[in-house]
Amino acid sequence: MLQYIELSLKNLAYQRMRALLTLLGVIIGITAVISMVSIGTGMTKAIEEQFEAFGTNKIIISSTMEFGAKGRGLVDADVDDMEDIVGVAFVSPMYSVSTGSEFKGEEKVITVWGLDPGKAERTFSDVGGYRLYRGRWLEPGDRNVVVIGYTVHDDYFRSRVELGNNIKIQGEKFRVVGIFAETGDPDHDKSVMVNLDRIRELLGREDSVTAIIVRVKDGADVNIVRQRIEERLKNRHEDAEFTILTSQQLIEAISSSLKVVQVVFGGIAAVSLVVGGIGIANTMVMNVMERTREIGIMKATGATNSQVMRIFLVESGIFGLVGGTIGIFFGYLISRAINAAAEKYLGPGMLTTAVTPDMVATALVFSVCVGVISGLYPAYRAVKLDPVEALRA
Amino acid sequence: MDVVRLQDVEKVYTMGKVKVPALRGVSLSIEKGEYVSIMGPSGSGKSTLMNMIGALDRPTRGKVFVEGRDISRMSDDALARLRRENIGFIFQQFNLIPRLTALENVELPMWYAGVPKVKRVRRAAELLRLVGLGDRLRHRPAELSGGQMQRVCIARALANNPDIIMADEPTGNLDTKSGEDIISILEDLNRQGRTIIMVTHEEEFARRAERTIYIRDGKIVS
Ligand SMILES: Nc1ncnc2c1ncn2[C@@H]1O[C@H](COP(=O)(O)OP(=O)(O)OP(=O)(O)O)[C@@H](O)[C@H]1O
Ligand SMILES: [Mg+2]
Repeated sequence: MLQYIELSLKNLAYQRMRALLTLLGVIIGITAVISMVSIGTGMTKAIEEQFEAFGTNKIIISSTMEFGAKGRGLVDADVDDMEDIVGVAFVSPMYSVSTGSEFKGEEKVITVWGLDPGKAERTFSDVGGYRLYRGRWLEPGDRNVVVIGYTVHDDYFRSRVELGNNIKIQGEKFRVVGIFAETGDPDHDKSVMVNLDRIRELLGREDSVTAIIVRVKDGADVNIVRQRIEERLKNRHEDAEFTILTSQQLIEAISSSLKVVQVVFGGIAAVSLVVGGIGIANTMVMNVMERTREIGIMKATGATNSQVMRIFLVESGIFGLVGGTIGIFFGYLISRAINAAAEKYLGPGMLTTAVTPDMVATALVFSVCVGVISGLYPAYRAVKLDPVEALRA
Repeated sequence: MDVVRLQDVEKVYTMGKVKVPALRGVSLSIEKGEYVSIMGPSGSGKSTLMNMIGALDRPTRGKVFVEGRDISRMSDDALARLRRENIGFIFQQFNLIPRLTALENVELPMWYAGVPKVKRVRRAAELLRLVGLGDRLRHRPAELSGGQMQRVCIARALANNPDIIMADEPTGNLDTKSGEDIISILEDLNRQGRTIIMVTHEEEFARRAERTIYIRDGKIVS
């Protein structure tokens, strides 16, 4: 086998330019495969990590009511109901809204999360990323205070927002008592937490909530608790008024849609590989035609059909291997570049694309296969040549 | 013993609907160690006859025995092995592989025979020295003169130490001096006991063989 490879390399080296052009197809194909798959897995990993950090023991009930729609969205009474359900550890109501804010005369829209101050820490502290950078969490009795996300502190406004500063929300002053460290989710980093009752007061929303986060007791079955919640809510609401999601469901839903993305990416890459394979086949057919006489010489000097076959298959397989190796290298570079770009524009740790040894091995095997398969027809033509005819060429 | 025996061999080439009879009932036998030259006008079937004897092609009718084996009944691969072990070809157009060096060209038949690299290289170098090209091992065909290329060809023909050397107009593309060199190498090989079968247009070279076969219109005339 080594001998065949040695011979093929000599043949390829002899026609560098054509070899290079042929390789281009495979290089582009494998580059596409590697970069696409690495982005795809990077995305899946990023999102899964985020949700894993959120924990699998939570159920999120959100109101699907639009402003001004008929019927009622979720209300405080629902929250009270849920506290009685078997298997529920605790229930945390939430009112989130995008509203006007002002800091040192600069006005900006900000996402405000209204939370029960006594439950805020318990709800979020075990969620990965929600660590305090400075100050403290909301505490019972807090009214005109706010805990801000890292971006809000850092560069959301022209000047930094520090502990003790006042931000105006809905025209009212809120004193900053805490700053979160970066969570890895840019939306969260741009949000602020305030007392649920206070923000509802300011908005005139009395007892409505936009979401309820239920934490399930350790050992309780999340899906059974979910069913109980659903039954309870149906006493008061229409189906259309709320949706219930367990964190598990969220993870599954998102990763399955990411699978689709990956399949599409993979498909595009596969098409470009097929094009690369056709390129190899084309070059190999040309090779066989140009080397007709040489094939005659090979046969006259004693090469068997299977040896002729192997010589051409190894040659096209090497096209695949070399193209694949270069493609993996470029794919790796692209994956690195995307990492750098993601870090710059999305924040650190948001999207970490990776080229794993598995991917490299698969891509190599795959590209060699593409090469060999593309070489089958040309090699067959070489085998079929009649030695006498070939020598006359 | 006869190394080559032909019985009533006919070869018809079919080009579309036209049938071209190249050999029309040729019978002959050549003994081991004989030095035979073949002469005849252009298109008379000399090369076709050489292809039969050299197991490159099968007859349309009749039988061809090489080393006692009937080639019309043998598979492609069996023929390839027969050529590899028992027959060395020398062509008018040299037919060397252009991108390989002289040494590598001579290695090829041994490569097909599965001779390990070290042995292969040693023998190829030895053969090239034998034909006087000891200082041209790394040259490619384009860097060699016609006479030198033909000597590489002879070295290649000898690679697997065959009994039969087939030479189809080996001096056809050479000047008189180089042609003379080639013929004397072939004569040396014959003296070592190898069977030499050579097509030539040169009366003088043909006369130096032990026997000359004249062929015309696909038939042996004497
Ligand atoms: N592959 C082929 N297909 C069709 N006809 C062929 C083929 N090979 C040879 N012929 C024909 O068969 C006849 C004998 O050809 P061959 O090559 O044996 O002649 P030759 O004696 O070697 O001639 P030259 O001295 O020119 O080499 C010629 O008429 C030639 O045209
Ligand atoms: Mg001829």
